[in-house]
Amino acid sequence: MILKNMTKDLVVEKSTQNEVVDASSFALKVENLSKIYDSSAGRVVALDNVSFAIKKGEFVSVVGPSGSGKSTVLNLVGALDRPTSGKIYIDGIDIFSLGDAEIATMRNGRIGFIFQSFNLINRTTVLKNVKLPGIIAGMSSEEVNSRSIKILEALGIADKKNQKPVNLSGGQQQRVAIARSLINNPTIILADEPTGNLDTKTGEDVFDMLKMLSHKFKRTIVMVTHNPELAESTDRSILLRDGRIEKDVIN
Amino acid sequence: MNPKDLFSLSFEALVDRKVRTLLTIMMVVLGCSLVVVLNGLSAGQAAFLEKQFNTLAANVIFVSSGQRGFRDASAGNALIINNVVVEKIKSLPLISDVIPEYTGSITMDSQGNTERASVTSVDPTKLTVELPNLQYVDGSTVNPTDRASAIVGDTIVHPPGADNDFVTLGQTITATSTYSMPGGKTVTMTKNYIVSGILKPSGNDRIDRSVIINLDAGNELLHKLNKYDQLIVTAATPDDVDTVQQELTSTFGKTLGSITPKAIMAVRQQAASGNAAFILMVGIIALVVGAIGIVTTLYNSVTERIREIGTMKAIGAQNTTILALFLVEAALIGVIGASLGVIIGMGGGYIMSIATTTTTGGGGPSVHIPPIFAPMDLIKVWLLSLTLSIIAGIYPAWKASKLSPMVALRRE
Repeated sequence: MILKNMTKDLVVEKSTQNEVVDASSFALKVENLSKIYDSSAGRVVALDNVSFAIKKGEFVSVVGPSGSGKSTVLNLVGALDRPTSGKIYIDGIDIFSLGDAEIATMRNGRIGFIFQSFNLINRTTVLKNVKLPGIIAGMSSEEVNSRSIKILEALGIADKKNQKPVNLSGGQQQRVAIARSLINNPTIILADEPTGNLDTKTGEDVFDMLKMLSHKFKRTIVMVTHNPELAESTDRSILLRDGRIEKDVIN
Repeated sequence: MNPKDLFSLSFEALVDRKVRTLLTIMMVVLGCSLVVVLNGLSAGQAAFLEKQFNTLAANVIFVSSGQRGFRDASAGNALIINNVVVEKIKSLPLISDVIPEYTGSITMDSQGNTERASVTSVDPTKLTVELPNLQYVDGSTVNPTDRASAIVGDTIVHPPGADNDFVTLGQTITATSTYSMPGGKTVTMTKNYIVSGILKPSGNDRIDRSVIINLDAGNELLHKLNKYDQLIVTAATPDDVDTVQQELTSTFGKTLGSITPKAIMAVRQQAASGNAAFILMVGIIALVVGAIGIVTTLYNSVTERIREIGTMKAIGAQNTTILALFLVEAALIGVIGASLGVIIGMGGGYIMSIATTTTTGGGGPSVHIPPIFAPMDLIKVWLLSLTLSIIAGIYPAWKASKLSPMVALRRE
């Protein structure tokens, strides 16, 4: 057992050292990632030996038909799930070498999530929703407050800060979610069908906002979508099919 | 996450489900207040008994003719206590005094009002032998030889719940006594007395509820035919009490019963502590039921908030943070429930002690035994309620903290 832990530590050290070189240019690096679900219905290979790397400031779309594995990639990159094999490095850190508590800290500080159905906490205010990751991080209340308000202002919804999310339109709610994803200044923002629950016009507005974040503020964004038009407007598209990368194109 | 934010998030979650939270708090309130009420009432009872005991002189022995629970199959005929017996006891060693008493109950009229009262028929100058701290209100006079004068206890003057005094010094009261003649004929005897003395609250319930008249008056009113109900035998010193009691038993056998206030106290305290243990158990069962209510509430809450828990985890909340959030919810329910429970329990205790004001034998006016809420007892009950609430929160909180974020987020 001790031996096993030691070798594991050594491996971690080695890979971390290796990645220090890459970390300067890559925000995210995915290596030979596989995810296999074994269930009573049979064996499902959701991801089959996928590798890619994303540079800092890149806005990448992940596209593909249903069941192609694009959500699985996002869940793994977001450290919400563990892979069957393969590695993911964020800021050069092998995230699956970490324990649950460290992974939580990782999600809190280096990953920003935007969900299709917003996932805001409806009983509390817009401002508190945006502040929440900062509160979890233990940021001082003055800092978290001023940062939240600045971000809400930048996204044009500062006037809604004391409202409950349920009283906002879908587009406004998604902007709150975007603001929340930014509060801890993450390395990478993961957006899972961020326009999926919105009408075309509102969806475009939200997408433009992500684009603005990418261009103006150099945020690294990975967006899962099945809207080909939106995908073409990103810097780069990774097309998945049957758990493999079919195409990786610069737009 | 700092404690302030933790509390505010948990509090918001509770407020979000107002009705359910209130119902759960009510369960804790019920359990907690029940324990407080029962504890308070039994502490009040215990203190009441203690006070009765402390007012009595330490060298007193109550002697009766074997009727009061001392008679058993082997006892044979109970001894009739008359002056012959009194003289015989007086001749025994280590005895300083023997005070005979008639006791009974009467209906008493005073200026158109009627109350039940106990009668203690005794030489009034001897009252202080039994109750050394006895005091009269100003203007009282003691006329040991006047068959028409009466002394009344404080509870008679101030019946519980009444605004006006039932009797005043110098006024006339009419006492009616009913007794059976051999052959079953019922006879009613009515006599008038002048209230010559009023006792200050003595702390002794029997005397406070009594009308005191002298021996001749009592013999006549209660139709006792010179047969005393009770003797108060005083030993020369408190240390001689046991010796005197043994002497009485060896002289009279089981035809005469004797008991010391200490022994009465011991029996009553034993009964009271048995009661206290039982009612405490009832209260704790109520608290446990309240705790199960918390488990149900929080468990439902976890099920409903799976997506929210998933979101919290996705944005970086630690398992321990989720655990803490739900435990704080349980603790908040506990703190509010326990605090309200203590307050409501204290109020409820007073109301119940008034509602259960009863005539405790002897036919006198009713006694109000106020509950006693010792701060230490209240703190203990408060802490017990809070602890049970937090324990009840452990399982739902643990369940929430262990949720996989991906599974939780997928839940619609």
